[in-house]
Amino acid sequence: MSLADVGFVLLRVLGPVLVILLILPIPMWVERRGAALIQDRPGPNRVGPFGLLQPLADAVKFFMKEDIVPANADRFLYVIAPGIAVFSAMTTFAVIPYGATATIAGREVPLIGADVSIGILYLFALTSLSVYGIVLAGWSSNNKFSLIGGIRSSAQIISYELAMTTAAAGVILVAGSFRLTDVVAMQSGTWFGFLPRWNVFPQFLGFVVFYVATFAETNRVPFDLPEAEAELVGGYHTEYSSMKFAMFFMAEYINMIVASALTVTLFFGGWTLPGFHPEGLGGVLLSVVIFAAKTAFFVWVFIWVRWTLPRFRYDQLMRLGWKALLPLALVNLLSTAALVVWGVL
Amino acid sequence: MTANGIPLGDVLLASGALFALGLAGALMRRNAISIFLAIELMMNSANLAILGYASTLQSVEGQIVVFFVIAIAAAEAAVGLAIFVAMFRHTETIDVNRINLLKW
Amino acid sequence: MTARLVFDVAAGLAILFAAVMVVHRHPVKSVLALVVSFFALSVAYVMLSAPLIAALQVIVYAGAILVLFLFVLMLLNVPEEVRQKSGRPIHHTLSALAIVVFAAVLLGALRAHGATNAAPSTSPLTGEVAPVARLLFSEHLLSFEALSILLLAALVGAFALARREGRT
Repeated sequence: MSLADVGFVLLRVLGPVLVILLILPIPMWVERRGAALIQDRPGPNRVGPFGLLQPLADAVKFFMKEDIVPANADRFLYVIAPGIAVFSAMTTFAVIPYGATATIAGREVPLIGADVSIGILYLFALTSLSVYGIVLAGWSSNNKFSLIGGIRSSAQIISYELAMTTAAAGVILVAGSFRLTDVVAMQSGTWFGFLPRWNVFPQFLGFVVFYVATFAETNRVPFDLPEAEAELVGGYHTEYSSMKFAMFFMAEYINMIVASALTVTLFFGGWTLPGFHPEGLGGVLLSVVIFAAKTAFFVWVFIWVRWTLPRFRYDQLMRLGWKALLPLALVNLLSTAALVVWGVL
Repeated sequence: MTANGIPLGDVLLASGALFALGLAGALMRRNAISIFLAIELMMNSANLAILGYASTLQSVEGQIVVFFVIAIAAAEAAVGLAIFVAMFRHTETIDVNRINLLKW
Repeated sequence: MTARLVFDVAAGLAILFAAVMVVHRHPVKSVLALVVSFFALSVAYVMLSAPLIAALQVIVYAGAILVLFLFVLMLLNVPEEVRQKSGRPIHHTLSALAIVVFAAVLLGALRAHGATNAAPSTSPLTGEVAPVARLLFSEHLLSFEALSILLLAALVGAFALARREGRT
């Protein structure tokens, strides 16, 4: 392992992490202005042109606020919980392929953090770990609302994880591998000459179940009861202020970006487009841009839905997850299996 | 020597240490749930030993056995915790020294 | 060489946090120490060419079973264990003796271990998932189906045990 090898590994691992951290202000701005657009009001327009520096002002506010630790809170767990949330949010991006394989200086650099053989299982494992961040935040705050919010949120995440993984299982079945690079490679080409071979077309039900489940996994409306201001004061991040709250905030946006990236990879062909064969560095950069554009579209849908739909009540939410989404995901899995056995897929 | 150059003795030593710790926890704790946790630790130490041997003997069956052990441990944990919850409702405690209704 | 180093570090962390779990009196903290220990064990499994088991360990054990433990602890509000003078010190003496004897027997058995002369199986160990899956769904299919029925039985049993009296 020469120094150049190590350098390339660091580049392809840290590259997307740094990029995501740097572009975080963009979804924040889009959320505020997008909400204003949907609600027919101007939105932030004082700080910089079109309010573009608003996220910067928010960041300064987060730094300047007083950092409070409640009196009887469990100090160690209280401090570590947002760290767990951000950690699991950021490390999930390691297995998502964000571009074609580049050939730099004579060596192949696959644009993915780590192409492990368990691919998507690694991602599900880290989603399971994110539950700890939330439940610890809720419990260590020593506050009834936080505890209820934390437990509701973790129960919600665990329930929708089932529907999500069963919907993803349909895609894995067709791809025959857990590796997301194989899933993306399988989606290149076209049917009938014009329809891209994306998994959303034969497995539309699976896509719908998966996408709805990702809304619940990231605690976004319509499934954001555990953190809703009107219901539970603030849910599991009631007692958090300043940088620790900013970390939860960051973790939510990063989770949104990762969930969108995963949806694009599983169901919309990742960085591929029909008829597009990346050649050279320009082709690779174009593939990254295609991936980013598709992900950005789904992030916009997250924001769009937030300011359009009302919130689910908690029992409605659990009923939807267990009695509607999970059976639908199973139906999708069985029908996909039948299609694979009959040789159609 | 396992497939990756890890000496089998290392793996078994780690497994043995974990098992001894689990046994210590199961014998010393008073809280029923903590005892159960120590038992889960013992099962994991057994998993580690099985995987160490599987890697040495280049066998995939070992991984299948561990797969089953993990699934059965999940089932056992669910039922065990349900028992504890039911017990707690009756006796308001999960201190194993005080749950001695079978003894007169 | 590096594989051995990573395995040793991971196993060492697992043992360290397992010791924290055994010693710590607060049940929630001890569950969290066990979570870290299982995570370290998962890294050790990856070093032993079992990435599927490592992923399952985190998803099932650390991510579901221990979350269940945590929920039950929080909902039952289990208090910290108070270190009290036990009225029967023989209990502690016998436990310590049992552990020491067991550790000695285990180390003795480790000294005399040696890989058996079993013929290697037909599918050599790579880090791939496909051989495991192929074996699971062909030779061990009956066990797999029995396992799913076991899980169903556990689900129904847990539900029946934990529900409140007088509700259908």
